[in-house]
Amino acid sequence: MGSRALWSRVVARLGTSIIVAWASVTAAFLALHALPGRIEDILAGDIDTPGLREAIAAEWGLDQSLLAQYRAFLSRIAGGDLGTSYVLRQPVREIVGSQLWPTVQLALTAGVLAVALAVTVALLTAGRGRLSRKVASAIELVLASTPVFWIGILLLMLFSFTLRWFPVSGANGWQSLVLPAIALALPTAGLLAQVLREAIEKALDQPFVTTIRARGVGELTIRTRHLLRHASLPAVTLGGWLIGGLLGGAVITEKVFGRPGLGSVTLGAVLTHDVPVVLAVVLLAAFIHVAASTLLDILYLLIDPRLRTA
Amino acid sequence: MKKFVSLLALATISATGLAPLSPVDAAEPQPRPGGTLTWGVTTEPSCFDPHRSSQQAAFFVARNYIDSLVGKRADGTFAPWLATEWTISPDGKVYTFTLREDVIFHDGEVFDAAAVKANFDFVKNPANAANAVALLEYFSSAEVISPHVVRLTLSKPDSTFLESVSNVKLGLISPKSLAKGDLCGGGPSLAGTGPFVFERYVRGQSASFVRNERYAWPPGYAARRGPAHLDGFSFRFLPEYAVRTGALTSGQVDVIEGVQATDVSLFADDPQYRLLIGPSGASTSFTLNINYTRAPADDIRVRRALRDGFDPEPIVRQVYLSHVKRAWSIIGPANPAYNKALVGAWGNDIAGANRLLDEAGWTQRDAQGFRTREGRRLTLDVGYPQPYVRDNREILIQGIQAALRKNIGLDLNLRIVTAGEYAKGNATGTWSIYPNTDNPADPARELWDMLGSKGFLYTKVPNPDPEITGLIDQALQATDPVAKRALTDRIQVLGVEKAFIVPLFAPSWFLAAKTAVRGLGFEAGLDSPSNAYDVWLAKE
Repeated sequence: MGSRALWSRVVARLGTSIIVAWASVTAAFLALHALPGRIEDILAGDIDTPGLREAIAAEWGLDQSLLAQYRAFLSRIAGGDLGTSYVLRQPVREIVGSQLWPTVQLALTAGVLAVALAVTVALLTAGRGRLSRKVASAIELVLASTPVFWIGILLLMLFSFTLRWFPVSGANGWQSLVLPAIALALPTAGLLAQVLREAIEKALDQPFVTTIRARGVGELTIRTRHLLRHASLPAVTLGGWLIGGLLGGAVITEKVFGRPGLGSVTLGAVLTHDVPVVLAVVLLAAFIHVAASTLLDILYLLIDPRLRTA
Repeated sequence: MKKFVSLLALATISATGLAPLSPVDAAEPQPRPGGTLTWGVTTEPSCFDPHRSSQQAAFFVARNYIDSLVGKRADGTFAPWLATEWTISPDGKVYTFTLREDVIFHDGEVFDAAAVKANFDFVKNPANAANAVALLEYFSSAEVISPHVVRLTLSKPDSTFLESVSNVKLGLISPKSLAKGDLCGGGPSLAGTGPFVFERYVRGQSASFVRNERYAWPPGYAARRGPAHLDGFSFRFLPEYAVRTGALTSGQVDVIEGVQATDVSLFADDPQYRLLIGPSGASTSFTLNINYTRAPADDIRVRRALRDGFDPEPIVRQVYLSHVKRAWSIIGPANPAYNKALVGAWGNDIAGANRLLDEAGWTQRDAQGFRTREGRRLTLDVGYPQPYVRDNREILIQGIQAALRKNIGLDLNLRIVTAGEYAKGNATGTWSIYPNTDNPADPARELWDMLGSKGFLYTKVPNPDPEITGLIDQALQATDPVAKRALTDRIQVLGVEKAFIVPLFAPSWFLAAKTAVRGLGFEAGLDSPSNAYDVWLAKE
């Protein structure tokens, strides 16, 4: 495939990404307004002073028709203005901006860690003795099905409360990133290792492995240079799920470790119908989704030359 | 256990006297200045501006940087604070406050009558949509008489007005800050006059404060003048019980709030820590409010059966071990207006409850063993809004649910609802049973909130009970304390008698701290831990 074809694909992707973003914020907008309860009633809470609800409604434009609100919202977004949070009463851009990096930092670190762990374990155990594979597989299954929440508490108890190697909470320096990243990485690594090993073992049965062996290539080289490439295709397919899982898991991890991040902000915003914040997060998630799937598509081409000629 | 009992007793003393907390403290040398500490708390306030917030968790934080015109003593009387004295006109409508002349806001602005007027005008202005406006229902205007005398005029006498003025929600913020607009995000731009200056807020992590060196104006009941002892302190937001406990035992924080029942003995029995139990229900008890206009709860026999069909004592003990007590009145036992006559006066009459339901025609049983009438199951929904679920209270309700099913065949259907669903039920008056505790204020105001004709629960309910709402209206306007007390006593009895409410337990604050942390206490007017003004660190 020439660079031209690649470019047209990227451009097409960008086009769809805008459609995906528009569709998801529209769906979220409608869903938020379809939930029971008027927003001004929720914001006023237990207070019933004459005029308060009307004032709140006027303040946020809730007294206009839904269509007018939707139109105002779209034109604001198009102008790059994410609005002001109803509940936190701060610009959404500031809130999301200040919380984005800690979440991304956590998800990225955990992602890298999960991939590194999974690749190492899969390479070492695939096609080897039954016992080592069984043990590794059992550990992976346990990790994959253990809630992040619980792993987090266990790690804290051992490494923070008892051994005192790492701080319990916050986002100050690398020390405070270690435990949350491990907690988030372990379940992902467990699943990824399972998939990778299965794929490597399948590739091991292929005739080309016998051919390479016949040339006298060492086992380690076979595994790292040849098998891993074959095995990474199914793993990359899981990539979209992995990114979603890491970002979703980050929400829970942040809560356990008392870390700043998008998690608690999003959770609070959904519970209180804080429309501008929820919509900003949805928009962000849509863009991350599009960007990730574009990247994965390109990754497929890099990994598997057979796809390039198609 | 003996130790625990003595701790309980100490906590009670501290709650009523606001005195230093233990004999250990009394024997100690004078408090020493300096040092910083970290305080692990459960809830991160969504807004730090006391005028706007509606969260208990925010008020207790705000008291560190916000002062009020008057302070409320633990016995319910009022002490001078930023106002040195005040007079109330004979018709109860004009309050004149004389202000201290040496008070300066954190941003350097002078505190004077104009600043007071600016604050009250700001809250009253509907365009600002400040939640504290609920306290200013009858407030009509503020007038600057002289630089340090301000006059507040009401449209109607309001026996709860001084209480409202003492509330942190009507605390004083620099007019310059007010003009700047939204202060929810805290930080130095939220300038009050309190003993600590709001230094920095990191969302999702912490809020930090430094000592206000100029501070010389604590409330009249404070034991001393002058700045706070600590150089500064910070709150760390740790929503998980186990994480807070671990953070304290591993020395990463110095104090925690929200100790879970199962961890209480861990701190009570260890000399390295001290446990403090706060005023028990100085505001209202955790109460089931029954919408008595909605079938089947419009039948007093059904409501009374619900009230008497279970024994709260063992259920409360099961959830909170022995650390909190079951409640008898909607007003909490630590509140001066608590009606002790209700103790032992009602509840746990299962035979009687069954008889009432038989009389009311709920005589059939369905396959699950619930009572039915004309083919319909005896079901009462409890709509518990998710954002307010905390402190294992849903587990308590589940215990009651099981007991009512077993004892009298009543289906108490606990539903955890969204804030939106709750708001909808409230706005249409169609809520069924609402479990809650109310923020503290004046007792008449609490009763009005929960049972009054224009309180937040019954405001949209057509034709609420004229007897109880009438008494509440009288109590709100009664300026004679004796008459007011008689009214609030009667309303508490009536609420239980007509089974409009079923009080369940009196919640408490549980703090645990390193022993080196001294001077922790509770503030009566806030029904919460007091601010860090008296806190100091002993040498370890």
